[in-house]
Formats: sequence, structure tokens, C-alpha cells
Amino acid sequence: MDFEPTIVSFLCNWCSYTGADLAGTSRMKYAHNIRIIRVMCSGRIDPIFVLESFKDGADGVLICGCHPGDCHYHEGNYKCLRRYHLLKKYIAQMGIDPGRLHLEWISASEGKQFAELADSFTETVRGLGPCHVKEIIENFA
Amino acid sequence: MEEVRIGVYVCWCGNNIAKMVDVEDVSREMETLPNVVISRDYKYMCSDPGQDLIISDVKKHKLNRVVVAACSPRIHELTFRKALENAGLNPYMFQMANIREHVSWVHRSRENATKKAKSLVAAAINRIQWHEALNKRSVEIDPATLIVGGGISGISAALEIADSGKQVYLVEKTSQLGGYAAQIDLISPFMYNAAQLINPKIEHVYIHPNIKVFLNTQIEEISGYIGNFETKITNSENQSIELKFGNIILAIGLSTFNPSKIQNYKYGIIPDVVTSLELEQVLKSGKILTNDGNVPQNIAIIHCVGSRNSNYHEYCSRLCCKNALKYSNLVRSAIPDANIFEIYADMRAMGNGCEELYSATSLKNVMFLMFDQKNGLPEVREASSKDNCKMLIEFDEKLSGERIEVPADLVILMVAKEAHKEAKKLAQTVGISMCGNQFFIERHPKLDPVATTTDGIYVVGSCQAPKDIPDSVAQARAAAARILGTINKGSVEVEVTTAKVNEDTCCGCQTCISVCPYTAISFDEEKQVSVVNEVLCKGCGTCGSACPTGAIRSQHFTDRQILSQIKGLLDKSFELQEG
Ligand code: FES
Repeated sequence: MDFEPTIVSFLCNWCSYTGADLAGTSRMKYAHNIRIIRVMCSGRIDPIFVLESFKDGADGVLICGCHPGDCHYHEGNYKCLRRYHLLKKYIAQMGIDPGRLHLEWISASEGKQFAELADSFTETVRGLGPCHVKEIIENFA
Repeated sequence: MEEVRIGVYVCWCGNNIAKMVDVEDVSREMETLPNVVISRDYKYMCSDPGQDLIISDVKKHKLNRVVVAACSPRIHELTFRKALENAGLNPYMFQMANIREHVSWVHRSRENATKKAKSLVAAAINRIQWHEALNKRSVEIDPATLIVGGGISGISAALEIADSGKQVYLVEKTSQLGGYAAQIDLISPFMYNAAQLINPKIEHVYIHPNIKVFLNTQIEEISGYIGNFETKITNSENQSIELKFGNIILAIGLSTFNPSKIQNYKYGIIPDVVTSLELEQVLKSGKILTNDGNVPQNIAIIHCVGSRNSNYHEYCSRLCCKNALKYSNLVRSAIPDANIFEIYADMRAMGNGCEELYSATSLKNVMFLMFDQKNGLPEVREASSKDNCKMLIEFDEKLSGERIEVPADLVILMVAKEAHKEAKKLAQTVGISMCGNQFFIERHPKLDPVATTTDGIYVVGSCQAPKDIPDSVAQARAAAARILGTINKGSVEVEVTTAKVNEDTCCGCQTCISVCPYTAISFDEEKQVSVVNEVLCKGCGTCGSACPTGAIRSQHFTDRQILSQIKGLLDKSFELQEG
């Protein structure tokens, strides 16, 4: 059986969540593996959310925020970007392929881009295979 | 803690959800989850009977939390929050799972769509356990308004507000009111005399009992929030005056492009190359003459000077084409036998009466010659003595495909409109955003083009994007109406999902203060803890993700709420099958 990854996605309310809504209103089809959590701003995405997602069994984590300069709260996305780069390094240290974490800017009008991103990232994660962090932790406990 | 009693409602949305998601199955399975007292599916949850279902269940089953799985919360979250209020619950004891835009409309396999829907609803159920009641807050509105900029936009807004009996402080940086409109002669396309239009308005502003004008005055600093702003200004006599006001309108207008940046046009080198704004002064004087006092025989008008060119400004300045056509008409009537050349990149005369002006101009023996921005700009050079004109303009004419030379005694450059030089400073002073071109950004480009993302601050006229007079006036009056609305109400509701500090666990590192985009957090030196000003906080949550001890919480988006949501989302029982 083909492996079906589960991907937790954090989308900011103002641009990216609206973009994902637009993909829906436009009836664009994309991979069902993407599961979305709404936050007000990508700046709210605490590194803990990403780490816990992997710990709870996510095979991939997708972060989307407003394009640079467009953040509803001025600069939350820049803070998110900084944390993202650190997180990439950090999860690599923990044995999680950094390719499992991805960030992309999606504006409210980019429904199509969101649908394409959902598909392409799902394929990337599918290629990486299941993430075993959860099992490893459970075995240790 | 009180016992958690959750009601779950899965919407069919007619067939929109039910076709792709087995809503009955979702509802049944949710009923087995902890703390779920009742779970139902219904055709249209947002309809009145749907909402009544929730309200009666809340009462009958003593529910204290409600999850609705339906469309996007961006559409109906407020509807259901209202229903909760009607049922006597706090509106924040509610969570929505988006199983339409994010599930039924975007997936192909009913089995997997149903599984995904279950995981989203389970996540909402998990999250809502940790929801807390939040109370609405409102602030009172100071009925005075500050308007920055005394051009046609600022003046229009000022009169609208003042005529309704409310106080206006109008602050203008220069020594006179009128702005850009006061500098021009006739207004395209209907050729109204600008002075005749605007001077009575200016007079009216000066004598209006509800308007206080401050000339030669700049805003250095503004503090406060909607309803309660204040500033200190220094007037011309060097007195410092304190003003308090509830709303702000920014109407600082625009600046124009400095054409000496484009060497081809020899602006500043050949004196008979002038900008459109300089030509207005010439027109006002009543006589079109060259620098040495002769009547020009060849007049060339070059379009898009700094506009629609990625080296300068990529955008269209919107006003220049119709003004260029105006110049052709005015020159034609002043110098009937002159040769007139409109050297344009694309004709974009839009708006009422402008296309008509274009047609009329083309019948007046005006030569329209096209150049290609990407193919090199026209080159202006001084003519030699045998040329019988002062200058020559050489370029590849696009429609004929030939390289041509056009004689000119006067060259008019249609300079781009650009953001005001002070825009950046002002944006930072008041805390609003600018686009890449340094124009102020409105709250929503389509649905809210007047407000900004900072409550109580409005942008009108050309400081938001180049605009003509009617558009500026319309926007100014719209902002005035919005402000009068809030003043009449007396108070406004403000964001309740703000950040909150737990003083016991705050270690005083002040990281939150450094990341807050609204300077909403200050430091209590005595207690050595951070303090959030709830009125300034917009609830972005950045501080919450930066706090090393978890002492600062983004209410309604707390760590606990989101972490529980993640856990629910990843619940093993809703794992996907091969699609
Ligand atoms: S609101 Fe979208 S990234 Fe900040």
C-alpha cells in the first residue's frame, strides 16, 4: 500500500487561510493529506507547535503566511521566517529530515498556488516516507 | 473546573458538504469522544432553525461549549457566536471546523474526505476543552478628529466632519491649504478652473467654527489608540500645543518623480524641458512661452516619465494621460498653428469623459507617436542651428517601426506620481503599513479601501495611490462618514483576543516587548514583569511564541488550545487510506 502522509499546516488568518478558502470556493482539488490549523498570524506559530506536531505523528509540517510586507500585523511573518530557519536546523539535529518542514507565502488571492503547494509538498513528504519520531518516543517511554 | 459539556453540529450545507463527506458518520463518531454530550447533523446549520437547534440544546443539555463543523469560520464564525450569546453562553466557547472550503470542495475521495473531516472536528473538540470565556471590551471615542494634510482630500473630510458639528484639527505642513489641486490651472477632462473650485472650500475651512487649522506644522509623534489618540504639535510661533482626538485621517497626498533621474530627457540641462507641474505655472500665467520668451512652434509631450517602467515605478500613475491630453488642447487653443506631439507608451485615459477627450484631441491635428518602454526611452538633445527648432527627440516609433526624430521647442514631461516623501516617517509615527511603493495600505483592497489595519486611522486621497480629484473627494467623505458613525455610537468594541501576562511566571526578560509590533507591552519596573495594554494589543500572538517561560498567553490562541488541536488532528483513528 502506498504511504499516505499526514501533514499539519499552520495558516495565518489574513492571507493564507483566506487563500486556502479560495482554493475551496474555486473547487480546486488537492491532496487530502493537508490538515489546516488557523492562527491569526504566522508570527504566532510557536516552534513548540511544529515540534509537537512531529511528536504527535505528523509526517510533515507546512507553514504559510502573508507575503513579506503584507503581514496584517506588520512583521509577524519575518519573525516566523527567522524561527523557521532555526527550526529547520533544529529538527535536523533531532533526526527529522528538514525537508519535512516547509514554509511558503500564500496571499489571499493565491488559491491556485495553495492547491499546488498542497500537492507538491504532499509528494515531497510521501517521498521521504513515514516520520518515525512518534514511535521512537513511545518506545522510549 | 466546571464539567465540560460539548455539543457538536455537523452541517450538510445542502449537498455542498454532504455529497463528499458522510456527515451522519462524522456526527455519530464524534458523539463517542470525551465530553461530547450531543452530536447532530443538520441540513443548514447557519439557517435560523439550525441556530435554534443549538440554542435549545444548550439549554436542554446544559452545554457549555459548541463545535460547528461547516464552512469557513471566516464566513459564519460570527453568526454562531451570536447564537451562543442568544443561548446565554460566552461567544468564545465556540469553535468551527472548516469541512467545506478545506474538505468537501477540494477533495475527490469520499472516504478520505470523511476521515479528514473527522480529524478536523476531533481537533476542534479537543481544542474547545480549553476555551475560556472572554469579555467584550469597548472604549469611548473622543469626538475630535485629526486630519493630516490640507489638500482637497483633507479639506473635503474636514468640512464633512465639521459640518456635522464635530471638532476637526487640520494640520498642514506648508504655509497654505489646497495641496496639489491649488497648483494646477484647469482640471482635466472637463476643464474646470481649479482655483474657482477649491478657493471657496479653503475659505470655508478657515472660517468654520469647528475646524482649527495649523499651518507650517508637522506631526512628530502620536500616541494612543482608537478613541483616545493624542499628539503634541509645534505651531509657527513655536508654541507647543497638545491635541486629543479619537480618529485620524491621513491625507498627505503625493510627490512627483524627479525626471533628472532619466538622463535621456535632459531635464535640468536644457531649460525648455519642463515637468507637467511646472507647465501648470506657465499656464496659470496665461502665456505659453519658451525660456527665452518666444512662442514655441513645436511642443512635445512625453508620457510615462518614471511610470510603468521597472527601473523607476512599475505602476501607472493614473492621472498623466488625461493631463497630457489637456495640455494638447490648451496648446492648440493658445497656439493654433503649433505642431503638437504626444509621445506615449500606452494611452490610458480612464474615467468619465477621458476617452472622449482623447477622441476629441485626435481630431485637433495632434500627432500621437508611440514608444516602447522596453526598447529604450526617447532621447532629447539640443538641435543644431540648421534644424529650425531648439531640440530633437529621437526614438523608435512603435507603430511604424521606424526610428524617427521629432522637433521640439518645448518638451513637457508627464512625471510619475510617487508616494509623498514624508510618507514613510508618518507611517512609522502612527503605526500603519505601506506598500512596496510607499503608498499607505488600506485595510482591504476591495472591501475596505478607506480604513487601515490600525483602528481609528484612515487613509484618503493620493497618499494611498495616485487619484484624481473626484476619487479623492469620494474617499475623503467616506472616511468622514465612517468616523462620524463611530463618534455617534460613542464607543467602539476592541479586540478581546489579546495577550495576557501571568505575573507569577514572567521572568522579566522583556523578549515580548522587543517583538511586539504595536508597542502594546511595557515593563513594570517595580514588579519586574511585562504588562500588556489591552487596547493597543491586536492579538497577533507573536509575543506568545517568543516568551521563553510561557508567561504571556495569546487569548483564544493559547499554547494549550493549539497543542490540543494538533493532538486531535493527528488522532490515529482518523488516519487516511490510500486515496
Ligand atoms: S497575518 Fe499573515 S503572516 Fe502575519
